[in-house]
Amino acid sequence: MVEGEMARRGGWAPARREDARLVRGAGCFVGDLRVPGCLEAAFVRGAVAHGELRGVHVAQARRMPRVAVVWSASDLPQVPLTPPMLGIKAAKGRPWPALATDRVRYAGQPVALVLAADRYAAEDARDAVRVDVAPLPVLLDPTRAADSEVLLFPGEPNVAVDKDFGDPIDDAVWRDAAVVVEGRYRQQLLAHTSMEARAILIRPEGADGLTVWCSHQAPHRLRGDLANALGLSRQRIRVVVPDVGGAFGGKSETYPEYLALAVAARELGRPVRWLEDRAEALTGPPHGRGQNQRTRMAADADGRILAYQLEIDADIGGYPHLGAFVPLNSSVLAAGAYRTPRVHVRARAVLTTTAPTSPYRGAGRPEAATAIERTVDLLARRLGLDPAELRLRNFIRPDELPYQTPTGFTYDSGDYAAALRLAMRTVDYEGWRAEQARRREGGVEPPLGIGICSYVERSGNASEFGSVEACPDGRFIALSGCCSTGQGHETSFPQVVAAVLGVEPELIRLVEADTALVPRGIGSYSSRSMQTGGAALHQAAGALIELARGRLAERLSVPIERIRYHAGTVSADGESMSLGALAAATGPLRTDEVVDPPQAVPFGTYIAVVEVDPELGSVRVLRIVAVDDYGVVVNPVIVHGQTAGSVVQGLGQSLYEQVRYDDDGLPSTLTLLDYLIPTMSEVPPLTLAETCSPNPNTALGAKGAGEAGCIGTPAAILNAVADALDLDDPNVLQTPLTPYACWEAARTGSGRSAARRAPLRVEATR
Amino acid sequence: MRTRLTVNGQARELDVEPRRTLADALREDCGLTGTHLACEHGVCGACTVLVDGEAVRSCLMFAVQCDGRQVRTVEGLAAADGTPHPLQEAFSAEHALQCGFCTPGFLMLAAGALARDPSVAADPDRLRELLTSNLCRCTGYESIRRAVVRAAGELDGARHADS
Repeated sequence: MVEGEMARRGGWAPARREDARLVRGAGCFVGDLRVPGCLEAAFVRGAVAHGELRGVHVAQARRMPRVAVVWSASDLPQVPLTPPMLGIKAAKGRPWPALATDRVRYAGQPVALVLAADRYAAEDARDAVRVDVAPLPVLLDPTRAADSEVLLFPGEPNVAVDKDFGDPIDDAVWRDAAVVVEGRYRQQLLAHTSMEARAILIRPEGADGLTVWCSHQAPHRLRGDLANALGLSRQRIRVVVPDVGGAFGGKSETYPEYLALAVAARELGRPVRWLEDRAEALTGPPHGRGQNQRTRMAADADGRILAYQLEIDADIGGYPHLGAFVPLNSSVLAAGAYRTPRVHVRARAVLTTTAPTSPYRGAGRPEAATAIERTVDLLARRLGLDPAELRLRNFIRPDELPYQTPTGFTYDSGDYAAALRLAMRTVDYEGWRAEQARRREGGVEPPLGIGICSYVERSGNASEFGSVEACPDGRFIALSGCCSTGQGHETSFPQVVAAVLGVEPELIRLVEADTALVPRGIGSYSSRSMQTGGAALHQAAGALIELARGRLAERLSVPIERIRYHAGTVSADGESMSLGALAAATGPLRTDEVVDPPQAVPFGTYIAVVEVDPELGSVRVLRIVAVDDYGVVVNPVIVHGQTAGSVVQGLGQSLYEQVRYDDDGLPSTLTLLDYLIPTMSEVPPLTLAETCSPNPNTALGAKGAGEAGCIGTPAAILNAVADALDLDDPNVLQTPLTPYACWEAARTGSGRSAARRAPLRVEATR
Repeated sequence: MRTRLTVNGQARELDVEPRRTLADALREDCGLTGTHLACEHGVCGACTVLVDGEAVRSCLMFAVQCDGRQVRTVEGLAAADGTPHPLQEAFSAEHALQCGFCTPGFLMLAAGALARDPSVAADPDRLRELLTSNLCRCTGYESIRRAVVRAAGELDGARHADS
């Protein structure tokens, strides 16, 4: 019955409830809150990437009008340490104080806090603070930092994490293989660039309590971190997440600014707010990505992959934070979609003097997918095989699932070849290959390239809480431990509950993102909301039916087997009651459930078709086809919206976006004119298609959605550009594929094609 | 400085510092927080409002520059009786917003353009140029384009019905 309802009502897309307020400008973001007496914060930041903090001169700033306080670390009654999250051990011996105490380890590290009546006054005072730092050498590359004698934390190595996955591969495998290829890839640093930057407002409640409004992905985690760092009881801290203007992994963490602000709120007994500005957001923390990768792949003469080796040096910035987890996520997924008997990964998380990193949409999976998918294309080129054919020869087959990879992860369900074939049909792969051949033959039109990325990812970690209550008025309240940052939970979660209960979704109201109302929760990241939070609500709704049946059985003194449930009503022997009436008659009718399913493995294939002007280096993306398998899709409009948005973010990484530092370690991407995210003019024709392999580990059957576009797009574009330029050494291509990068690659990476194009250039100038 | 302006049809008299941006005056002094600030340096367009019918970045304009002028914000987009503007309905219908932070800016950008020249929505190149003015990090833009085309059709239909 439940499955039938899901089939009838799932995969259906009502208008989003969130929209009514957001299109009227009636949303409520942290910056929109009006809390009486609230002071506005500005942070004084070190202007040196690495150095000894000699002094912070605040006297002049303190005398400025409307300024309440200007505090450096020495003025605070306590200087809490930024918690590293997820129990990351790398932070041991490497403390990150809320305000710098003796050293700064990235440009922009908070050194002092200004609180004033408004932001104008706060920024005036901020600019009047002088910070004296004696510079130390900077480290901007994780591989070089790993071997450097310059230690960010004297006595502790710069390599904060060094971990192996899978067994080391015997030299004989490489020696005896018919073909071995090697890749060297750079995943540039990226800025999350949610349109709303970080934002937090803290109001003290009595001597030992706080109410915290924060633009965040994980309110319960933030509550725990604040309690631990400040020595307060969790019960005395309430975290509320109002509307959030995008997050993409950069708002699931606890940051030093939040802790400094909390100390100030308690000390002053006044509400305080920090609204991060765009320059702060772009210079980070957080940054995303930032990996140096070396790959090696061996295959037999038929193209069967025998072994794959991946080495990662991940830049985690000046302090180990959640970014230290990202290379481990890459490692677990290193094997990709292939039945490769030997896979070995060595992952190092390395301190540098860039801003600390965090997960950014994809969080290690784009890095893993790009490494193996570029390497597979390199192998295809070496073997003279079509890259689609090489993939088809090596995919893990559906009958081999569940499949345990040599790096210790289990793939659940799917048909990887089917996704590739669907993508090929959708894009007209043969047609584009013919067009490519025609252009190469003609030699006049710009070269065309077709790039494939067949990815597997993992979604949804840890448990999640869900609760459903039938209210006496006939409505239902669903509580979730997740936390929407724009994904439309208010619309999609009630759909799940409605499908199970067989009632209209309008009767169900979602409550989440408030620790005072939701007893526990993990939050929204890792594409986990529907997969895990949805599964919890699905289970809670099912349990509510059973609870109601039991309640009526007791009331009628009949065996529970006689109680039937249909569309919000329980009945037996001609007697029937709605759940609301039952709650009114017998007391609260509510079920709380926690589910803890294993991680799921969404997958898919992306194909990009590009045209490259070798003279100008410009890349024109003609088509992107994205085939994704998210398991059961509850709201296809929301899921397709997530896919389209993440494809465009993936396009940003491929072609435009890069956080840049100068030689002194100072960020040079300070505005949205330096850090280029795609506009509408950059968006290529995009076609979405899906296969559906339900998650075998939950009754709901949903897998994660939301990050796939960032995972599949970059490697598809990279492989397409390498294909267009016919590069003998595709390793010369690194993202972002700016015109200069492609022009340079066309000159240096392409023996055959450069030779072939040389006479054309002469003809063209005639 | 004393500044008199009309916001969404309502006369306002503000006493602002010369350096106060229009965005801050709207948000803080008029309590109209629907206008969002995302970059504060004139690139993203989230703070777009109409001044005398023309789309401006309210983070790049001082409040005092609006003395004697008409300002329209997202709060003034719907009809006085609350009936949503066709753009507001179309943005929801086409799923042209996710987090919704950039949405007021896109709405005002499109509202200004369609009021001035409804044919912009029928010309793909001009429409693309127009919507390239603003940034969105969630949607990938295509749904925003569709929403503006849809709303233009609604507005066109309403015009013909009136005439």
